[in-house]
Amino acid sequence: MGRAVFVMSLLLMLSAISLVTARYQSRHLYNLNEQLHAQAVDLNVEWRHLQLERAELARNARVDEIARNTLKMVPIQPSRTLYIPLPAESGNESGKEGVRP
Amino acid sequence: MKNVPFFENPITRVQFPLWRGRLILIMMLVGVCILLGRAVYLQGINREFLQEQGGKRYERTLTLPANRGKIYDRNDVVVAASVPAKGVWVNPEQAKAASPEQIKALAELLEIEPAVLKKRLTEEGRTFVYLRRQVPLDKAREVAMLKVPGVYQISEMRRIYPEGELLAHVIGFTDLDGNGQEGVELSFDSVLSGTPGSRQVLRDRLGRIVEDIRDVHKPTDGSDLRLSIDTRVQFLVYQALEHAVRQNKAKSASAVVVDARSGEILALANYPSFDPNDRSELHGDKIRNRILTDTFEPGSILKPFTMALALEMGRINLQTRINTENGEYQYQGHRIRDVSRSSALDPVGILTKSSNIGMVKISEKLTAQEMWSQFTELGFGQSPSIGLPGAAPGRLRAWERWRPIEKATMAYGYGISASLLQIARAYTAFARNGDMVNLTLIKREGSPATVPVFPAELSRQMRTMLESAAGPDGAKLASVQGYRVAGKSGTARKIVNGGYSQSQYRSSFVGFAPASDPRIVVAVTVDEPNAGHYYGGRVAAPVFAEITGRTLRMLGVKPDAPFESEVLASNAVEVLR
Repeated sequence: MGRAVFVMSLLLMLSAISLVTARYQSRHLYNLNEQLHAQAVDLNVEWRHLQLERAELARNARVDEIARNTLKMVPIQPSRTLYIPLPAESGNESGKEGVRP
Repeated sequence: MKNVPFFENPITRVQFPLWRGRLILIMMLVGVCILLGRAVYLQGINREFLQEQGGKRYERTLTLPANRGKIYDRNDVVVAASVPAKGVWVNPEQAKAASPEQIKALAELLEIEPAVLKKRLTEEGRTFVYLRRQVPLDKAREVAMLKVPGVYQISEMRRIYPEGELLAHVIGFTDLDGNGQEGVELSFDSVLSGTPGSRQVLRDRLGRIVEDIRDVHKPTDGSDLRLSIDTRVQFLVYQALEHAVRQNKAKSASAVVVDARSGEILALANYPSFDPNDRSELHGDKIRNRILTDTFEPGSILKPFTMALALEMGRINLQTRINTENGEYQYQGHRIRDVSRSSALDPVGILTKSSNIGMVKISEKLTAQEMWSQFTELGFGQSPSIGLPGAAPGRLRAWERWRPIEKATMAYGYGISASLLQIARAYTAFARNGDMVNLTLIKREGSPATVPVFPAELSRQMRTMLESAAGPDGAKLASVQGYRVAGKSGTARKIVNGGYSQSQYRSSFVGFAPASDPRIVVAVTVDEPNAGHYYGGRVAAPVFAEITGRTLRMLGVKPDAPFESEVLASNAVEVLR
């Protein structure tokens, strides 16, 4: 009888301690999850910013300005363009010989 | 001292009166009863109140904001996106403690006049006053560093439009709370805006979230939108319009570029425009999307439709010669004039010379009902369903009430009004094989819905006629190196105070290219050119040529017209190898 009580109380203690540990771990993991979540949101925001920054840098008006004034480029004209028909369906190199002005 | 247990120590043996023991017992019982009673009171009777109070101390319901969808152009360039920002607000009661230096620094950061800021900081009887909304995050951090008492921040979203004024009329803008107000932002608001979520959480002493109490309602972010617009084409169109308005001292100019095959709108621009990133600009005339909202009497650019109808009904054929009365003709008590003074013209000549008299003669061979059903079929008088707010239907009166002179003027584009977009759409009937395509601002997957208007053969004939109208005898400034273009110029007098103005005009040009296999339809209109020229062939045709040429080259369309090449093919082949 006494032995049974002892075993039982030991089991009870064990279960109580494991409950506390589980609780602690759950909070810990929850916190971690929260942090990672916040990080995901931050990264998403940063991505948006970078996307906008890229859009800003690649803005047509800016590209046009740089091309014309800094790089001294000129608009394309058919007269200065070489038109190459797509290679024949066989896809061999000789397809490029069908060049026409 | 044998067998005496310690508690029977004779020294400690004192006789207590019996009532003392009873008293202790009763007191303990009473104590237990009180505790029990209190427990019942707290746990049973007063439970809800206490739970609520407890909840208020550690439970929080958080709203999870949903992100508004991004808008992309057809090549996945971001043209509108939301980023977090802060709304800076103040509790004037607490702000009394702010030092003058702090207020000065705050005024500088928020770009508010110090006097105005001071007034807002001292507003009596209020506990919440916005100082500035949508402050960028880095600036908000600086504001927080000042540690001005009573100044707080809340999270907000700020909409950014990297292309600025270029796409302003297409995209529109949102209000401060992220609801669409104009353009695509308004018409696709339900798609772009998400549903905010919520979560109930427990917080610890330090305000950290430790646990979710209930299931989290996740926010649904708004869907992204992919426009049919190509920002590169949009840019060159905008540039051409800006140039045209400057050169012609015009009031405004608008143009639309449509992909003839898919019905997608590649560019839709008005000049002057506005910068949607600058909230102080979001009012007045400039924000109107003139292509959709402004209807006008199109003038000569409508002639091809009447011509096509007459050809389709067999009332005339390509060889019919029509007497054009040497440029002046009395009809129903009105004098009708032509710019060119020809004696007789065939249908191609009428379009090329843009003869009003010729069109009047042709309209006599048609009934009002026939013309009305033709115009209705082409979409005039009905709002185009394109997914932008404010698309005007234009005016097409019921045919029963047309007077003979009205029928005659409608043949050359007066007495009927339409928006530039409607006209561009109608022209797709010529650019395609007689079927008019439904336009869209959203990138299209699959084939578009079309409305058959003309037989394919007639549409081919019309293309040839329009090519000649944009040729050396017609609006020759519309020509583009390397490509065959077709189109019609138009010059319309504006209606001022109920009569036709002698000094205010609207010059237009609508056409398509390459004429051998049309890829794009381009419609241009310049409102009130004031630099000497006002003919469509002189003012709008060069704009059309610039837009068409650059767009076709950008899309990589193969030239269909002969041109002198400056590069030697053989050399280039060597280079390629």
